[in-house]
Amino acid sequence: MLRITGLSRSYTGRFAAENINIEIPRGSFVGVIGRSGAGKSTLLRMINRLVDPTAGTIEFDGLNVTTLTGAGLRGWRMRCAMIFQQFNLVGRVDVLTNVLMGRLGHMPAWRAMLKIWSREDRLIALAALDQMGIANLAAQRADQLSGGQQQRVAICRALVQEPDIILADEPIASLDPRNTKLVMDQLLRINRELGITVICNLHSLDLARTYCDRLIGMAQGRVVFNDVPAGLTEDIARELYGLEAGEVMAAQHAETVTA
Amino acid sequence: MLEAGMLEATYASAVSARRMRSIQGAAVLIIAIGLACWAAEVRPLTLISKIGNFTSYIDRMFQLESGARVWTDPAEWFWGLWKWLGLLRDTLLMAYVGTLAGAFIGFLFCFAASSNLMKSKWVCQGFKRLLEFNRTVPELVFALLFVYAFGLGPVPGVIAIAIHTIGAMGKLFAEVVENIDMKPVEGIAASGGTWVQQIRFAVLPQVQTNFISYTLLRFEVNVRAAAVIGFVGAGGIGDELLTSIRRFYYSDVSAIIVMLILTVMVIDYCTEKLRHRLLGGEVHA
Amino acid sequence: MSASLPTSSRRDAMLADAAGLAERHAALLGPAWRSELTGWIVAAALFALFCFGLWQLGFTFTMLTHGGSQMLVILQVMLPPNPETWARVVFYLGQLAETLGIAFLGTLIAAIIAFPLGFLAARNVVSNLFIHVIARRVFDTVRAIDVLIWALLWINVVGLGPFAGVLAIACSDIGSFAKLFSEAIEASDRKAVEGVLSSGGTWTQAVRYGVLPQVLPVITSQVLYYFESNTRSATIIGIVGAGGIGLSLSEMIRTVEWQQVSFIVVLMLITVSAIDYVSTLLRRSIIGPSSI
Ligand SMILES: Nc1ncnc2c1ncn2[C@@H]1O[C@H](COP(=O)(O)OP(=O)(O)OP(=O)(O)O)[C@@H](O)[C@H]1O
Ligand SMILES: [Mg+2]
Repeated sequence: MLRITGLSRSYTGRFAAENINIEIPRGSFVGVIGRSGAGKSTLLRMINRLVDPTAGTIEFDGLNVTTLTGAGLRGWRMRCAMIFQQFNLVGRVDVLTNVLMGRLGHMPAWRAMLKIWSREDRLIALAALDQMGIANLAAQRADQLSGGQQQRVAICRALVQEPDIILADEPIASLDPRNTKLVMDQLLRINRELGITVICNLHSLDLARTYCDRLIGMAQGRVVFNDVPAGLTEDIARELYGLEAGEVMAAQHAETVTA
Repeated sequence: MLEAGMLEATYASAVSARRMRSIQGAAVLIIAIGLACWAAEVRPLTLISKIGNFTSYIDRMFQLESGARVWTDPAEWFWGLWKWLGLLRDTLLMAYVGTLAGAFIGFLFCFAASSNLMKSKWVCQGFKRLLEFNRTVPELVFALLFVYAFGLGPVPGVIAIAIHTIGAMGKLFAEVVENIDMKPVEGIAASGGTWVQQIRFAVLPQVQTNFISYTLLRFEVNVRAAAVIGFVGAGGIGDELLTSIRRFYYSDVSAIIVMLILTVMVIDYCTEKLRHRLLGGEVHA
Repeated sequence: MSASLPTSSRRDAMLADAAGLAERHAALLGPAWRSELTGWIVAAALFALFCFGLWQLGFTFTMLTHGGSQMLVILQVMLPPNPETWARVVFYLGQLAETLGIAFLGTLIAAIIAFPLGFLAARNVVSNLFIHVIARRVFDTVRAIDVLIWALLWINVVGLGPFAGVLAIACSDIGSFAKLFSEAIEASDRKAVEGVLSSGGTWTQAVRYGVLPQVLPVITSQVLYYFESNTRSATIIGIVGAGGIGLSLSEMIRTVEWQQVSFIVVLMLITVSAIDYVSTLLRRSIIGPSSI
């Protein structure tokens, strides 16, 4: 159970996230929605502690995440893997090594420094790639892959961390519809088969409704909606997206029709 | 018509303004030259009266004791070939050891001096200043001090070169690091990598070709430096050259200088080739 | 919502097909060090040469510890920097002025002599390949002789003092300038030259109005940059007797006046940084911030 209480983050007096209170049970697939600048990325990055909260606490199964430093913090980051919109892979390095980056915390430091990966670590990385259907690309440089392939490599890196949570910050925002479906399906598979909690920032309401079993709506740094997708009415969407709401709904409707 | 007249007037005033600025610039330059001539005790007359010395000096450099031209008897010209080659080897080794040691330490320091990796502003600025100090003090000054502390020989020379190299390389390396893509670094940080692991796996792959290329360039610079650091007694062929010049062993001077020029050109050529291969491989890989 | 699985069974789920994977990707699962083998060999060779160098050059542990402790003693005696008398300060400032004068004149003379040579070596001005290649070779040769060697040679000709320094700096930079200038000229846009020629201009006019305006800012910026680096050179040529503050520095080290030494070093650092700063500003105003 991930319990967030009173979590806030301010930049030069302005809140990017303000007094967030949510509880996320293990194994759920949560979508975080809201317009640009609502504070979705800030929330996810605070959970991974890439951004330090200015107030409030994050708690996971009784572990106070907000006060962790050093090895404890790195241990937490291993347990909550992160996926980025821009993939954040090391472009000049081959795919397998990129995936093995996710195992850094599971091996002695000297082995990591000398890049002597154990056979088991390499097997785990290959297994992850295989399940994503890209094991044949293992020896290629990451920057030679398409966006969709790169994002699947990034998911593999997250997966081999053997995390309890995967945080995905707009994982499909720079992908085409086909790759969008591929990546979202993989996230769903990970969630269903391995029981890993997935928290996913999404722009598209439609995708959020399709994949998530709970939605968190944010506006101006606050949580304004927290319920099952069915509870997301037109009114609430309007509150989330302001005047854009009609457009967003219409556009997404059109998208689903054409897709 | 009126407009044309106005245009002409504007043009004339613009031209005169520019001319005024040129005149001012020239005046400043002339005053500066005058001051500099006075400060540097420039004596054009001395130069003119002694320019004959220069030509005759050059002439003597290419003359053997016997009065014959040096190229008529190469064996006599390069009578000390083996001794000089030994000294040249020491000079190259000094440059090599100094470059490698300096580049390695500069490499270790550059990450702490990069504002994107070193979150503590004070530490970062501290390292930047340290590197600046190492780079601003000339090798020869360090060499003078170290000769006093370590005694005559190549050791103070190598240390002087290494310390100067730390500053020069550290600064260049830090500039490269400050221009990298930070997304991979964030990616590794987010999966629990330590600071060192972030550098090892996200920074190094982005900077290594540049680092090697800069180090090769520096090696060439350091070969030149090692050749003259012997002037203050810090090893290598410089000591021998100094003696030859001071004692007016004319043909030895030219022989050693020829060897130095050849060495520098060969090193120049080789490092250039290596760098091209390295950077070319980067493009294709 | 599925129930969360314990980690071990997750790993089992992931590695369900381990045997098949191992078979399909045998190449990637070989001994881990193999892919890095060339890297390790190169590193080992570099390191071996390094150790050989240390041994050949006479590095010993006792020597390093002894010299190191000696250096610490000197550092302690050096601080704080102290010129003792005002007369000394004035004297050093005079020598600094001399240093700047040497750098300035040396750079200027080199630039003036190199300017026509640059045209000689530029492919688009002098099309004779032979002249071009010979000129480049000569420049490289001149460049390979260090400023300190030039200083020693000129001392033999015009005697000890700053004038030898000026000539040394001028000589050592002619080659570099000529090369840089010719590159700048080659990089200049041909269209301007063609414009002048097509409107009936002579060849000299084409160079004067077509090439010069384009290359002058670049050349000025390069000259300033060299002035900057020559300030550093000018501080040390005094060590071999060619004028400037280096003379006092080596004098004070010889007479073990460490507080004077550190004062001189501080003066040198301040001067070099100031010149760096001014020259960077000037260069920026000449060619814009982007090209620095
Ligand atoms: N490093 C920062 N410095 C200052 N302000 C920031 C910083 N990071 C985020 N903010 C501000 O915090 C607010 C929330 O940003 P956040 O990136 O969390 O939004 P988001 O919901 O992820 O938007 P998007 O959908 O565009 O990614 C924004 O107003 C942003 O300007
Ligand atoms: Mg965002």
